[in-house]
Amino acid sequence: MNLQTIITITALMLGLIELSFAGMHHEGMLMDEQGMIMNANAALLPRDCEKISENVDISIHAGQKHALKFNGKMFAFDTQEWNVKPCAKLNITFINDDQIRHQLMIHGLPGYLYPEGMFHLELYGAGELQASLIMPGLKKTYLVHCELPQHMEKGMKAQLKVDGGDGDLPSIPGISEAVRTDSYPVDWSGATVAILLLCVLAGVAAPFFIIKLK
Amino acid sequence: MTKRHFVLFALLSAVLAAIAIPFIPETIQKAGLMPPATVYRHAEETSSVEKPCSNDHPDWRQAQVIDGVAIDAAPSCEPDNPYDIAVAVKGVNNVSMATLMQTDLAQDALTMTDDVDHDGDPDVIRIKLEVAELNGSSPDGDFLINTYAIAPGIQPGLWVYAPKSRGMALKNFNSVVAAPLLRAPSPTIRVEQGDKVYITLENTHYLPHTIHLHGVDHPWMTGGGQDNDGVEEHPVFPGKSHTYEIQPRHAGTMLYHCHVQTAQHFMMGLNGLFVVEENQPDNWVQTFNIGAGQVRHPSVAVKKAYTQEYDLFYQSIDKKLAHIIQDAIDPRLIAQRMSRDYNMTESFENYFLLNGHSFPYTLRDAMLIVADNENVKLRIANVQRSSIALHFHGHKATITAYDGVEQAGGLQITRDVFDIAPAQRLDLSLKTQNNGLDSYGPGLWMFHDHVATGTTTDGMEPGGNMAILAYKDLLDEQGMPKMHDELLNEVFSKDYYAKKQALWAQGDFAHLLGDAGRIAPDYLRIIVFGLASGLAVGLFASIVIIYKKKRAL
Repeated sequence: MNLQTIITITALMLGLIELSFAGMHHEGMLMDEQGMIMNANAALLPRDCEKISENVDISIHAGQKHALKFNGKMFAFDTQEWNVKPCAKLNITFINDDQIRHQLMIHGLPGYLYPEGMFHLELYGAGELQASLIMPGLKKTYLVHCELPQHMEKGMKAQLKVDGGDGDLPSIPGISEAVRTDSYPVDWSGATVAILLLCVLAGVAAPFFIIKLK
Repeated sequence: MTKRHFVLFALLSAVLAAIAIPFIPETIQKAGLMPPATVYRHAEETSSVEKPCSNDHPDWRQAQVIDGVAIDAAPSCEPDNPYDIAVAVKGVNNVSMATLMQTDLAQDALTMTDDVDHDGDPDVIRIKLEVAELNGSSPDGDFLINTYAIAPGIQPGLWVYAPKSRGMALKNFNSVVAAPLLRAPSPTIRVEQGDKVYITLENTHYLPHTIHLHGVDHPWMTGGGQDNDGVEEHPVFPGKSHTYEIQPRHAGTMLYHCHVQTAQHFMMGLNGLFVVEENQPDNWVQTFNIGAGQVRHPSVAVKKAYTQEYDLFYQSIDKKLAHIIQDAIDPRLIAQRMSRDYNMTESFENYFLLNGHSFPYTLRDAMLIVADNENVKLRIANVQRSSIALHFHGHKATITAYDGVEQAGGLQITRDVFDIAPAQRLDLSLKTQNNGLDSYGPGLWMFHDHVATGTTTDGMEPGGNMAILAYKDLLDEQGMPKMHDELLNEVFSKDYYAKKQALWAQGDFAHLLGDAGRIAPDYLRIIVFGLASGLAVGLFASIVIIYKKKRAL
């Protein structure tokens, strides 16, 4: 457990922090019966930022219904990619449309601001919460996902690009191919077979025609 | 080339072929005077060997009190997290934040309120369960995720119910290993007789599931007129939740399991013990027993009659069924392969688990640890596809209940092999009085299914559900059996269960019982054969070519 978490818990135990997400703007971890927020940061600038470049309000829906547009997936966010400027401040509204738990984790952030390099929102069921974070200036693509077993694997995966990002992450639904893909049967029909046979026949016959022409 | 040349060449080719035949190189050859030497593959020199006990949490072993909850000592190598137990006894709503932070439980995982009968314990219990996939596949590469090994190197695909948790489902950021609450078997659930219990299934998995409360007193419909039997036609789909309601009037050892595509989902691991404890004053029962095994906070009634209590859960896995979720990522392919392509009537059981582990991992957390003159309550369930014949070395135990129904004293049977059909439960009273009947005295006594397959892991012995009934003094400070170093070093190895290692390749008999080596290749034979056969083919081919050319002219 990191120091910030301990401080927060201690504060919670002493009743210094009200157990509510409303108006919450501090670091560390907060949790209640609805969910939790870890490592939100609305104020501290990353080392490579002089000031906040832009304020971006993003609503992110999570749920089973958002996977409907992707074949072979079960869970998804409503959006798979966000592009922001270096040193942008993101005000995220995370909305869970399911009756189960979902998370929104952003990985690869600088550890001195975001312990373990992570920003983490979690909703224990349907509902929403808000939290902010400030992105560093570096041109980079960050992984955004739900870490519940098989949720990312079954589609709940997205990417956040700062300054255009440094490429696409694999297996983002609708954006990038998976490293390991499933195989499916090819839909052969009578017509497909006929086309193949015709081509073979044409190939066989071609030299004879050429010889005759000569 | 004259005709005579042709004949000569043909003849020479035939002679060479005849010479080559007896020199055909062999892949298997009879030994001569001296069979090949013994080869040594010492697992302990390779990375496949594990420490028998990693001893991660020695402080969890001692008896302790957390948030007012008395937790018994658990001397085993991998004791349950005592903070999990404190929360399981008091509910998330009645423990301190500091205690909750030592667990991975969600803040709504277990709520205990309303002492309706004013007897000092809560009577309205709300339990939330999720469904987790262990050893599943990933589109991001050729690896398994949320891994859970049942034995060294053995990671079959599994589904389990898990108490609703929070945060990471992995052990840490650099790991693919599942978080501690995510393990087999699904947790034992304990409630008190007469409690109003709400069990919510939050289906976090990608296929539909239910909870059927097998043998537990429950109305067929909920108060709101919804399904309460958890059967196939009322599946809870991915992302949805459903609450089952019970107020059990009858106490006993029961089950809960998924009733969707039951044969397959059951064998994938969606089942657990459901224990209804007798109603007693001030009876705070341990709602979850993670991974089954020792109950470190037994109920009031159990404490009155017994010195200790253990949940023993026997489970089997068909490696072909388990592999389906590792072979595909698309839920549609998994559904098709599991429900239609896979045929349960042509299935096998390859892995046999006691409390989620096969030997030698059973030594870490599935041992029965006793002292002299104890009376231990065992609640045993068999969720295998086949029956088990459970045998205790050195002891005869007494059956006190069948399927959660207490037997009158005169009907209680004492024996040393207990047949338990699929889905049946037995309550046993196991005494450790050294009197030649109950116990033959202190020891590290094995106990295992006596069906021959049960003590193997994919056919490899010793494995399966083999475990030890250990007298405390014979365990070391890490809870591992003393005097077994040689065996432990051999079996805590991936190579052993990958069948790469000779069984007795240690000590004085290493030379006599190690792996027989291979015979060195006979190079003279190989060269003679190669030259003769090559020349024969070459000559023959040249005759054919020259002959054809001549005819063309």
